[in-house]
Amino acid sequence: MTDIADRRLPPSTARRLARGLRRDWALYGALALFGALVLLAAFGPLLWPIGPLEMDFAATLAPPSLAHPMGTDGTGRDIFARFMDGARVSLSVGAAVVLTGFVFGGGLGLLAGIGGWTADVLLMRIVDALAAFPPLILAMAVTVGLGGGLHTAALGIMLSTVPFYARLIRSDVLRLRGQTFIEATTALGARPSRIVFRHLLPHTASTMLIQSAAVFGYSILTLAGLGFVGLGAQIPEPEWGAMITEGLQYALTGGWWVSVFPGIGVLIAVVTTNVIADHVRDRIDPRGQQLGVV
Amino acid sequence: MLRLILARVVTSIIALVGASIFAFVILRVTPGDPTRLILGAFAPQESVDRLREELGLNLPLADQYLIYVRDFLAGDWGFSYSTGEPVATQLASRFPATLELGLYAFLFAFVGAVVLALLAAYRRGPISDGATRALSFFGLGVPPFWFGLVLMIVFFEHLHWLPGPDGRLGPGVAPPPAVTRLYTIDALLAGQFATFADAAAHLVLPVITLGLFPLSFLLRLLRANLLDVSREPFITVARSRGLSRWAAFVRHALPNAFLPTLTAAGLLLGQLLAGSVLVEKVFNWPGVGALVTDGILRQDFSVVQAFILISAFIYVLANLLVDILAGFIDPRVRHAGMRR
Repeated sequence: MTDIADRRLPPSTARRLARGLRRDWALYGALALFGALVLLAAFGPLLWPIGPLEMDFAATLAPPSLAHPMGTDGTGRDIFARFMDGARVSLSVGAAVVLTGFVFGGGLGLLAGIGGWTADVLLMRIVDALAAFPPLILAMAVTVGLGGGLHTAALGIMLSTVPFYARLIRSDVLRLRGQTFIEATTALGARPSRIVFRHLLPHTASTMLIQSAAVFGYSILTLAGLGFVGLGAQIPEPEWGAMITEGLQYALTGGWWVSVFPGIGVLIAVVTTNVIADHVRDRIDPRGQQLGVV
Repeated sequence: MLRLILARVVTSIIALVGASIFAFVILRVTPGDPTRLILGAFAPQESVDRLREELGLNLPLADQYLIYVRDFLAGDWGFSYSTGEPVATQLASRFPATLELGLYAFLFAFVGAVVLALLAAYRRGPISDGATRALSFFGLGVPPFWFGLVLMIVFFEHLHWLPGPDGRLGPGVAPPPAVTRLYTIDALLAGQFATFADAAAHLVLPVITLGLFPLSFLLRLLRANLLDVSREPFITVARSRGLSRWAAFVRHALPNAFLPTLTAAGLLLGQLLAGSVLVEKVFNWPGVGALVTDGILRQDFSVVQAFILISAFIYVLANLLVDILAGFIDPRVRHAGMRR
């Protein structure tokens, strides 16, 4: 019945990844765009002659031109300069949220997974309390309570990713804990810390990496949302969401560029990270779970 | 089944208690002295003391928390600092606008997702595949407030097809007699077809803007589930019994693909709640979300605080109902719950 070829061992993760990557143009495109955004954020402000806060009252609300590729806003600030600084803000907040959210949320989930029943129940109730708020609204609560600004916004967004990371790691750890290789390692007399760091965590690494990309996109989108309602970055800080708000008053009277370009920035950053996460996930684990916090 | 329901109810209540403690600490305890916020920095000390007494700020924290919860459950959500109106009244007067927008957005998302997912899974090919994937990536990645603005720039400012940001009705159009307070339905009930057309035209762009994220989310979920289910043996059986491919899809695959969608309904409600805060301001939609953004702008946080707790309440309740419903519908969920 079965062909001999069907009984070969499944190819390794690395090989499957390499094979799938060969003609995945969507992934290449996303990587290139995202890379371009990172480069703009890192080096753009150093090379571009106009600063993000410099006002030029002779050129307010100027449409896109060679001197101002994205035009200027109501106080004559160059939107391209602000766009690049906004990229810097968004990408660094995204990275900070992913790292701290992973450490806190992952730590909680790990403790719940390897600790006994009591630890599991107690820790997961804390997680439930955080998950009782829709993610954006939890972030809003934190910024309302502690005062708006980039730092509190980042803290709020980070807290809203904690339930996501914690539940993910906990279920992974619970699943792995019952498997034979962990039992064998325990029987060999390995210390718990060795089991956790050498055997449990490496097994969750690939899912974590992919899910972190999705969290990164979510953070940027949420930061823009908070900035838009006035709880994130404070004026005059060049943050994409706050820039969209500043442009609202001009948008329907001809000055579309003030709001449109920062929105394109958010769109590119979020869509490319989601595409990267999704496509890499498809290669490694085609039947994997849905991505994303919400 | 009863045990499953009971366990879910208990964990939901615990989650709500935890959430209310979190909200109490972060919204009531940390921002410093609320009396100074109300009375201003130059108020004499004795009136500050009197207000502290009135607000119960001298009581131990645990007592303050209990009062906070009691007031919340009694619907006593404080007063707006700027207008002096009770928050409950303000929210109630804004609720119908948000409900109308949310209902249509949900309908748009649900119908759109089912139709597109069915088409994409039924007519599989690189084009339909790529189009649905692109649409859901776009919908999940676009900031809704920005998307609404772009839609308005195109369809209002340039093409003049649809009305701009003037809320639920055009200037000079009187609201229909209030029955349900949903303008489209009230206008039809009163037979005012011109008003209905105006209200419907004002709904189009906000509904698309608010509904795009849920639509993309559902579409992705539903499409993946449909493809999974359509490989199951019972679909082969249905086909071998002579059902057409379409009938097998709609009658057998679709209902089975719905369950994960149902459990996502709670998430979607949370999305719509949060989305209304982001979207309403752009369209000057006079709903709860715009009330919240105005509150943030005017530093009038009593409304915002009430909204945060209420949305947690609604969110937890919705997720609870959805889980119980899933248990009734699908025996697999019921038994997975038992084993745990």
